[in-house]
Amino acid sequence: MPVKLNENLKYNFLAADEPPVRDERVGGCIAYCGSCSCLQGDFKSGCAQAQNRRFSQSGGCQLGLAVGIINSLTRAVTIIHSPLGCCSGLAGSAGVRKTSRLSRGLTAEEQTFIHTNMDELDVVSGGLDKLKRAIRYADEEYHPEVISIVNGCVPGIIGADIDAVVRELEPQISARLVPIHCEGFKSRFVSSGYDAANHGILKYLIRDPQEYPQLTEEAQIKYDFQKKFRTSRTVNIFNVGSNSNGDEVELSRLVSALGLIPKVVPLNSTVDDLDHLGEAALNVSICATHDDYLLGHLKERYGTEYLLDVLPIGINCTNTWIRKIAAHFHLEKEAERLIEQENKELREAIAPFVEELKGKKIFVGGGETRILTTADFYKSIGMELVGIKAHNLDRFVENLLNDIDDPNLTVEVAAGQPAEELNTLSKLKPDIYIGHAGANGWVTKLGIPNIPLFGAPINYMGYSGAFELARRAARALKNTNFSKNIGKYVGHPLTKEWMDLDPNENIVQGSRF
Amino acid sequence: MGDFIERSKFSCALGGALSTIAAIPKAVPIVHASGGCAAALSGTYNLSAGYRGVGYCGGNMIPTSNISQSHIVFGGEEKLVGQIESTLKYIKGDIYIVVTGCQTEIIGDDAVSIAARYRDQNVIGVNTPGFLGNTLRGYDAILSALVKGIITKKEQKDPKTINLLGIVPGHDVFYRGNIAHLTDILSKIGVKVNSFFGDGESVEKIKGYGDASLSVVLSETAGQITAKQFETTHGIPFVTTELPIGPKASERFLHLIAEKLGIEKEIVDQVVETETKYFYSYLERIVDVAADLDFQRYVAAFTDSYYAYPIVDFVSEELGWIPHFVSINDIQDAKKQEAYAKKFEALTSRTKPQVIFEDKVGLAKKKLRASWPYNHNQKYYDALGPLYIIGSVVERDLANDYGAGFLTVAFPVSNRAVLNKGYAGFRGALSLVEDLLTNLVASR
Repeated sequence: MPVKLNENLKYNFLAADEPPVRDERVGGCIAYCGSCSCLQGDFKSGCAQAQNRRFSQSGGCQLGLAVGIINSLTRAVTIIHSPLGCCSGLAGSAGVRKTSRLSRGLTAEEQTFIHTNMDELDVVSGGLDKLKRAIRYADEEYHPEVISIVNGCVPGIIGADIDAVVRELEPQISARLVPIHCEGFKSRFVSSGYDAANHGILKYLIRDPQEYPQLTEEAQIKYDFQKKFRTSRTVNIFNVGSNSNGDEVELSRLVSALGLIPKVVPLNSTVDDLDHLGEAALNVSICATHDDYLLGHLKERYGTEYLLDVLPIGINCTNTWIRKIAAHFHLEKEAERLIEQENKELREAIAPFVEELKGKKIFVGGGETRILTTADFYKSIGMELVGIKAHNLDRFVENLLNDIDDPNLTVEVAAGQPAEELNTLSKLKPDIYIGHAGANGWVTKLGIPNIPLFGAPINYMGYSGAFELARRAARALKNTNFSKNIGKYVGHPLTKEWMDLDPNENIVQGSRF
Repeated sequence: MGDFIERSKFSCALGGALSTIAAIPKAVPIVHASGGCAAALSGTYNLSAGYRGVGYCGGNMIPTSNISQSHIVFGGEEKLVGQIESTLKYIKGDIYIVVTGCQTEIIGDDAVSIAARYRDQNVIGVNTPGFLGNTLRGYDAILSALVKGIITKKEQKDPKTINLLGIVPGHDVFYRGNIAHLTDILSKIGVKVNSFFGDGESVEKIKGYGDASLSVVLSETAGQITAKQFETTHGIPFVTTELPIGPKASERFLHLIAEKLGIEKEIVDQVVETETKYFYSYLERIVDVAADLDFQRYVAAFTDSYYAYPIVDFVSEELGWIPHFVSINDIQDAKKQEAYAKKFEALTSRTKPQVIFEDKVGLAKKKLRASWPYNHNQKYYDALGPLYIIGSVVERDLANDYGAGFLTVAFPVSNRAVLNKGYAGFRGALSLVEDLLTNLVASR
């Protein structure tokens, strides 16, 4: 019996300066190598959650994910209170923000960010004076709507109090200040970064919306009625950093097709958009791993019901996503008509790709919800799923995990850790690999053709996304010379001893985290 | 100490260390830090250095001790020991370099001593916490550790071998191409180059670098510490000069090296003559279009000190463009700033550039705006144009605002892919001209 994904989770953390990390709030598994049936058992018993690994490689940092959310806001300046390395990648993504915004029809904005550039002296003093000057500078030079202060490991360990700085400067600064606690060392789950950013949005950015005075009593009544009606039909779709404008357009189209009003938040939003977050009848997640914290707290604040279920990737999951939304508004019949029509059109359209892909072996690696739904799609069109690899596994995918009917399916849980993945792939020998950024290069070096699991300009979600997934996989297999050449002439640095090892031998039970 | 920086064009010392290690053939980093540092910093140089890639053992492949909460309290040394041992078993490498992040340095883990236990298995340790400084500091930390720790002492020096320093991998997006061009022209005057990162280098060869009789540092801000380390440990003197771009600068460069090494002037003259002829035999191709379309430009450069003078010198002295404005982001010391600004007095252009030192991008832009009389809507206005901005991808929108030509040379460079290209020497300068002019004719 499928359970509610956030059964028993509490959403009452806004009084605190920072949210609890996922390790405490949600928990989950970060290291596993084995079969699907074993994992299903070990996950229930809690053994999977107590595993760690011996040889470990670099994974992710929650700071990057928190910045991904908070830095996307319109007219925002991000201040990174840390040495220069944290977020140094922003330097080279000057055009990424711009193209992402232009693709959504938003005004082009430059990527403005400031490092407090903490040095050895600041490790002693905390560097808060520099931070204050940086905040004033950002406000005076750019007049942004939001100035976020992102806390790195150094101030986190020495206990520099950025919240006090925010409280002190708030009356003097015209922008809304938001401190974000996302120190990398604090959590083994990078998804803690989502909560960190959302905590900041909830606690510091959302304010009561300004109501504009109406001229006459009659106009006021009309206005209030319209607003009430609009709110009763509005569905907030919560976007994530890895989705494209194409995804947002497609999901909005499907919600509109039910006669509802879609609104896409919170990435790329203005503070005004955030202020009006409460004016919706339903908040819909597209990825539970991303935003249960946000949706749960919005329910506490506005009483807005929310839907935390499946990621709308592939035919089955998109169907489910639509059905769940429709059920909230008692639009079941409309939903079935929409689904029938869409499925028919899509199946005809992907038929030639299905013909190409049928029986081909596929391996999917990346974030838990995305890989399980993506894998489900490829399986549903007749490909042979040989394995999956998740960054981590937690309660948000328990239903999806239990739905897998292949007990022998290879499952790996590892954030990054390409060594384990390459080991597994060299044994499974898939025809094609679909993976998270950072992994695909190594898979190419192993000689296996691949396509990215997500990407800014690419549509993955909804029915049009399913079409793209099929189309891309079929295209990638039309010519695999690049990966063949790279596999032959470049290769990877792992020893034979490692590649011959059963990767499960690298997993240890209960080592201190 | 350093103030806050807007849109920093550096990562931290650990970032510089990882970028440097990635450029050493078959070198494997072992990072003692939290889990995200290594992949994120490696990613910075993968994506912002002309798509240089993560390298032999970079990105997520980097072995990391993955320090978290409990280690901050109880210490992470034990975890590091496990990482070193398993890395030695599972990753092929000619050298393993343990580097540290902020977290483990603050809690006082002694990673360098732990690494020293594995010295016989080609492991060395280096302190590289982010708060130590920027990319350049990390570069020097790694190289000076190699100089001290693995380069063999040699009494017998080769009179015609030099160590080339100051070219920071990744931070100089064109590092491999530049090294190749410099190695090439130096070989023409009989000089062998120890470059750490050039074609055909290896850890084995690096161990023999103690035989050089001179270190040549091409930067005021990177390589100085390493050069001093070469001097104290191996008795190798050093000289600081600029990255030579174009015939005139290359001529100066070759003469300087020749003089230091006691090579006859005639040999250099011969090479300079041949190479200059070669340079102009190709430059000739653009003479017609440059003249017909009036390609002379005002130049504003926004780079680090490694590229600022060499680039401005080239466009002024070889192309006859007008050096108007130079913004440099990596020198903080007032005396050093003054000395650096003085270099530009040597330019023969009638207009000498305004030289500023600024690491806040917004202020640098404002200062460019203030460097030229405002337009008061008068009928005739002598505008700052046509302008060419040479900088990093950060200045792209600025170039747009001015309707200026635009080329990314300094880090970060994310709008072009760079493989074996370099701008140094005689032949590299031809590539620079190609790129400068390509952007002027791109819309034709």
